[in-house]
This record gives sequence, structure tokens and C-alpha cells, in this order.
Amino acid sequence: MDVSQYLEIFLDETNEHLQNLNTQILSLEQDPENMDTINEIFRAAHSLKGMAGTMGYKRMQTLTHDMENVFSEVRNGNIKVNAGMIDVLFQCLDALEEYNTNIRESSDEGTNDNEPLIKQLNDIMNGGEAADSGAAKEAKPEAYAAKPEGKDADKDSGEGRKWLDITLNDNQQTVLREAVKQGKKVYGLTVKVHESCILKAARAFLVFKAIEENSEIIVSNPSAQDIEDEKFELDFSLVVISDASLDKVIAAAKGVSEIEDVLGGVMDIEAASAAETHQDTAALAAGTVMETAAQTSAEESTAQTSVPAATSAPPAAKKAPANKPAANKPVVNRTVRVDIEKLDTLMNLVSELIIAKNSLVSASAMSGTSSQAVNEQIEYLESVTTSLHESVMKVRMVPIESTVNKFPRMVRDLQKKLGKKMELYMSGEDTELDRTVVDQIGDPLMHLLRNAADHGLESAEVRKERGKPEVGSIFLDAYQDGNNVVIEVRDDGNGIDTEAVKNKAIERGVITPEQGENMSEKEITNLLFNAGFSTAKVVSDVSGRGVGLDVVKSMIESLSGEVEVKSKLGEGSSWIIRLPLTLAIIQALMVDIGNEKYAISLGSIQTIEDISPADVKLVQAKEVIQLRDLVIPLIRLNEILDIESKKDPNENLVVVIVKKGDKYAGLVVDELIGQQEIVIKSLGKYISKCKIISGATVLGDGEVALILDANTLI
Amino acid sequence: MEELKVASETTQFIVIQLGDEQYGIDIKYIDNIVRMQHITRVPKVDAYLKGVINLRGEVIPVMSIRIKMGLEPDVETKSSRIIILKMEQQGTIGIIVDEVKEVVTLENDQIEKIAYDSKDEKDNFLCGIGKCDGSLISLLDLNSVVLENV
Repeated sequence: MDVSQYLEIFLDETNEHLQNLNTQILSLEQDPENMDTINEIFRAAHSLKGMAGTMGYKRMQTLTHDMENVFSEVRNGNIKVNAGMIDVLFQCLDALEEYNTNIRESSDEGTNDNEPLIKQLNDIMNGGEAADSGAAKEAKPEAYAAKPEGKDADKDSGEGRKWLDITLNDNQQTVLREAVKQGKKVYGLTVKVHESCILKAARAFLVFKAIEENSEIIVSNPSAQDIEDEKFELDFSLVVISDASLDKVIAAAKGVSEIEDVLGGVMDIEAASAAETHQDTAALAAGTVMETAAQTSAEESTAQTSVPAATSAPPAAKKAPANKPAANKPVVNRTVRVDIEKLDTLMNLVSELIIAKNSLVSASAMSGTSSQAVNEQIEYLESVTTSLHESVMKVRMVPIESTVNKFPRMVRDLQKKLGKKMELYMSGEDTELDRTVVDQIGDPLMHLLRNAADHGLESAEVRKERGKPEVGSIFLDAYQDGNNVVIEVRDDGNGIDTEAVKNKAIERGVITPEQGENMSEKEITNLLFNAGFSTAKVVSDVSGRGVGLDVVKSMIESLSGEVEVKSKLGEGSSWIIRLPLTLAIIQALMVDIGNEKYAISLGSIQTIEDISPADVKLVQAKEVIQLRDLVIPLIRLNEILDIESKKDPNENLVVVIVKKGDKYAGLVVDELIGQQEIVIKSLGKYISKCKIISGATVLGDGEVALILDANTLI
Repeated sequence: MEELKVASETTQFIVIQLGDEQYGIDIKYIDNIVRMQHITRVPKVDAYLKGVINLRGEVIPVMSIRIKMGLEPDVETKSSRIIILKMEQQGTIGIIVDEVKEVVTLENDQIEKIAYDSKDEKDNFLCGIGKCDGSLISLLDLNSVVLENV
């Protein structure tokens, strides 16, 4: 079976499930009795198992299968959740993560059987069952044993005949009995959709239609609603009343394309209702239901001989599976998975549209014949393109949740590893960022959290001495601030010892002792972002290799963001990351320098000043201006860009004040053109030497203007 | 050329004029030929990089093949064109030429390989000489033409 086309979906979903499991097991650790959590875990493990099985990843399947067993015992109240078990479960998740990584890299799950883990899981199981008496022990493993093989297994057991699984309620039983009295026949059907079928729901709908031509559908499993929402795997079962023969009903269902097989049989209502048949248990015993087999394929005909039964099943065994469909499913938004490339194309088209709109604006201004109507339409077009841009941007936005959700688990592990007590508080997980940013922000954040845990927080004894609560706190707060998203990592630990940093920097030769004398605390803390700088006295497993912070900084800068640190010795430190909401379209100020047009991102501009040449002072042979108590260095852009300024030197200077962190600079330009929404285009690999130009944009008249990167000028 | 033979041993070239000489560019690299347009200067780059142009919304760097080859700087005329090349490594690049003449199809035996030991820098940009109807066409080795000066 060719499953490669589903690999992406499988990986995505596995990630989601693993994330979910991580979160749920963490909360289970806090609240071991919470049934909702346990149910949720069970469901996630079950889906994982199913998916791994479908994709043919046997090892992954076996592991999840054993995990699922443990959860199901927990759910039945046979085992109590304890710390040891949680640890084992986390190890299992790590192992699954490893499988997943292997699959992502080589589409093969690897050869690690994780036998010790499976053994531990089984130990937990046995430990739990020792406390419990009853038939569950025997029935359960066997019941599950039938399942994992998935498609192969249904050849030698009643697996394929899932209609036997359907539980009838009183009403339905009455209806069926009535029908039998009227001489109609009751059939159970299990329809199997072909594995490569993409629109399963649509096929199912066609099957429904086809069957309804000569029969009446009484029950379906999963429910009709779930089938419509595609909440079923490859098969669904129906109970129908019909005048027609079984063969005819089956033939009708089989007439639908992409239906692999339809199994059916006459249903014994009495038996079915009495036992609430469950396939797994039913398959174990001999039965009473007569079957008129409908399979055509030869290998499946063997299944005909196994006649599933409807005797009373061991109560404990059927409890778990029977609960499955009943458990309240989380409300899932209807979503479509879209390839990010398609979104990129869409975004490019929107960019083109904005350029075209800008052309139209400048064309109508040029022609001078702008009538009221044209202007109105242009304004309307402008508002439409702006909201279109916003919506497309929103489509690309995902909550940072998917990235930050793994952190509680990480902090928990760190806690054990470092022997410190700590707690992670997160807020604003629903803050949204561009998908590409969210994907890449995980590593820097992880570095910062590890730093906070390892270097920031003191050990419990020290904390006690200092009168702090023994349990250290780490905060991860995300929120939107104008056109930026701010992510803050805070801890209430020791803070940064600037003296130690300074000494270290001098020792490492990063700065000279004289320089150190004159540095502000701020400048010293910024030294931490230097490559190869670590103040931890011992290099630990967690952090302290000195590669962390400079990597953090460069990664965040590559996302056009910035990071700063605030710290108070003894009270803790906070790392503040600012990221732009979008990377593709920005508001910019267009300026003219020597008849060339340049764009400066509005985000970095503080104010625009009109300065008389007399106010320009010289400090260390460099031009500065004084502005509201600030001394700001002047940068004459025409010199930097090698252009002749066409302005009279005696005229007042137009100075654009830009800010980067706490630093200001005044950019001298010839003239201001105006504010404009611009689409950032890369200059390409070929022109990469020019650091001060961060990109280019196409103006309304088709001309290319370069975008100045104010950050590199300061 | 009136007849274009499509056989395995033929290559098509676009013949361009640079100064007094005719050069051939392998057609498989050519994406487009556009008229001269306003080139936005990019500061702080090598002199042969003239700047960037807007080609249907894409920003594309343009280089002067004359400056790169050590010839006189370009003089923009009515027949000046920008040839847009699609290179595997460098992506899309435009080169300025004086004139685009024609398309020729050369059989492999009409192409003479040139020895690589030439000291003359100009020759480093050629990959062969094509003989066509009695005239000689210098075939440009585009990879070395667009290669960045280190």
C-alpha cells in the first residue's frame, strides 16, 4: 500500500497528538484523578496507534498500543496514576518523538524497539491488575491483540464485521422488531472505503444514498454526523431494514467507486440487543448469528467461517471500548490543511495587487483629470486591498501555542535534572504570529528558558536564605504590542551579576579593563550576546556552553526581531523578544536623497525633525544634534550611499530620527516623499554585499526603490 | 537562420553585439529579453553591478557585461537591451548588451573549443568560438560571466 502521500499529514497529526499527550500527561501529574484528562490521553494514544498502524510503522504502533493499554486500565480504575508511571509515560513520548523524527528524516521509523519501555509499561499493567480481580485481565490483551494488525487482522477474525459492534438502543430495537414482524429483513453492513480515497465523507454519502434506494438505514456507526465530518477511519457500519435481498443491498453499496469492500449479514436483533455486541469479545466465542457472506475476495472468505457471537461478554472488557464513541470529543473547528507554499503564492499575488493599486493611485494623480468618481473608486479599492492583505496575513498566522506547549514538559524535566524547584507560568499562548516565525522561534525561546532555569534560578537553599519562596518561578508571556509581538521570558532568580560579566569579558579579552570602567550596566548585559560567552562556572548538560545567547540573538534578528535583557541583581531578569507581525508588507516612509528614492521602515522611525545647520555640533569630529536632552549622532545618508545631495548646505536639514533599542540616530535626507505601504522584495543572492539595504520594493510607477535598514546604520 | 535543425548535436545561440564583436549566448539560459529601462542604482556594490530593475513585480539585479569584461562602459542606445538570464546558482540576472542580432543554430562541429590557458582575462569568459556563415561568434561562458568577483 502506498502511503507516502499521507506522510506529511501523518507527521503533522502525530506531532499534534504527541503535543496533546505531553500537555495532558503534565496536567494528569497535577490532578491524577481527572477523568477528562485520562479520556483525552486515551483518545490521543488510540489515534496515534491507529495512524501508525495504517502507515505501517509497527514499532511505533506496538509502543502506543501498550501505552493505550495502560491508559485504559487507568480509565477503568484498575491502576492509580503515580509519579513512576508518569515518568515512564514521558519516556514513551520521547521514544515516539524519536520515531517521528526518524520518519520525518528517512520515512522509516528506525530499529529501536524500545523494549525496556514496553516492559515497564507491562509491569505497570500487571501491577495494576494485581490489585484488581476479574475477567478483564484475560480478555483485554487478547481483545487488543486483534486490533493492531489493522487491515491484515480482519482476515482471520471478525474484525471486518464491525456492524456487530453496533449497540442498539431501545427505540432502535423496537423499530427493528417491527420491521421483522412486517416481513422485512434486517441486515448489518460494514463498508470499507479504499485506503487511497480522499473524500471519504463524500463516498460514504454516496453509499448512504445507494443503500437508501431500497432500504432504510436505522443505525450507523460512527454516527451519520461523524461520517459527514469524516470522523471515521476506513470503514463504517450500518444496520438497515430492507425488502431486498442482502446481495442486492451489498451490490448497491459496492456500486459506489472507491469502496473497497462491503461485508454484510442478516442481523439477529435479539442477540444483538441482549449483548451490546462488541467485535473484539465477540470474536472470541462461538456465535449464533447466521451469515450470508458477501465478500468476493478469496482470502477473505475464510472469515465466513468465524461466526461472531453475541454471548454476554466479560463486563470489564467491553466497558472501555464501549465508552469510546460516547466520550465527549473536543469541539474541533472545521479546518483545511493548506500547503504553506500555496499561501506564499497567495501572499505574492496580494503583493502584486498592492503594487498595481499603488500604480493606479499614482497614475490618476499624474493624469490630473481625477474625477470624484475615480477617486472614490480608488479609495474603495484601497480599503479592499488593505483588508485583503490583512486577511491573507491572518491566514498565515498561527498561535504560538504549538511552539510553547512543549515548554512545561521541558521545565519539568529540567527540574529533575537540575535538582531545583521551579514552576513555569505561561500567558498569551493564543498570541498569533506568522507561521514561519512561529516555527523558528521555538529554539531561541528554549535557550532562554534553559538559561533562566540553569543560571537564573538559585537552588532551593539559597532561595530560602534570601527570603524567596523555595519554588522558583519562570514566566513566559506573549502579547501583541502595536505591529509587534512581544515574548517575554522572566525569572525571579538571581539576575545578572554585571560585575561578574564584566570581569569575565575582560578575562576573555572581549573588552579592555578601561572599556569596562566606562560601560553602563546595559552595555555590560549586552555583552552576554557575544559569541563564546558563558559565565556559568561549570559547563552543564542544560546550558553553559556559551553558544546559547549569541545564537538566540542572531536567530531572532534573522526574523527581523530584536531581543533585549533587563535584569536586577538578586531579583531576577527578563528577556524581551520583539517580533514583527508580518515580514512581507510594511508601512514605510519614502524619502528622496539626491534624486534617488529610498524607503525607511516606519517601525524604526521615532520622529522627523527640521534642524537648522547652526544646531549641528561636533563631538569627537562627529556631527551630533541635541534634541530634548538627547545627544543624537547625525548620519548623512548621501555620504553613506555615495550620492551628491542636491540640497543647499545652508538650508535646514530634514532629519529622520530612528531608534534601535535605546540608541538613536538622525538620518539626514534631502526630502520627504510620504508614507506608503510597501511590499518587501529580496534583492536576491546576487546582491548581498550591501548591508545597509535590507531589500527593495516596487513603487507605483514601476520603479524600484531600495529599503534602508536603519538598524545597521546605528 | 531560415532552417532550424533540431538534432541532438546542435545548440541554439542568441547572437548579441558588444562593441565590435559578436557574442553568442546559449539559449537555454535565456528567460527573456527586455528593452532598456530605468535601473535603480544599488550603493556599495561592485561597479559592474548596475543596479536592479522591476520585471513584472520581481526585483532583478542587472550587470554590465562590458564593465565585467573590461570594455568601455555602456552607452545606452535605442538598440540596447537587457537579457534576463536564469542561472542555476545565482538565480535570475539581467545583462546589458548593445544589440540583439539573431538566433543561430550551431552544430557541434561548428564550435571550436578554446584552450583555457589564455592569460588574457577577456578570454576567460568564453567557452568556444562558433563558425557560422563565414563569421566568427565568441560563445560566452555565462557561468564565469556572472560569477561574482571575489
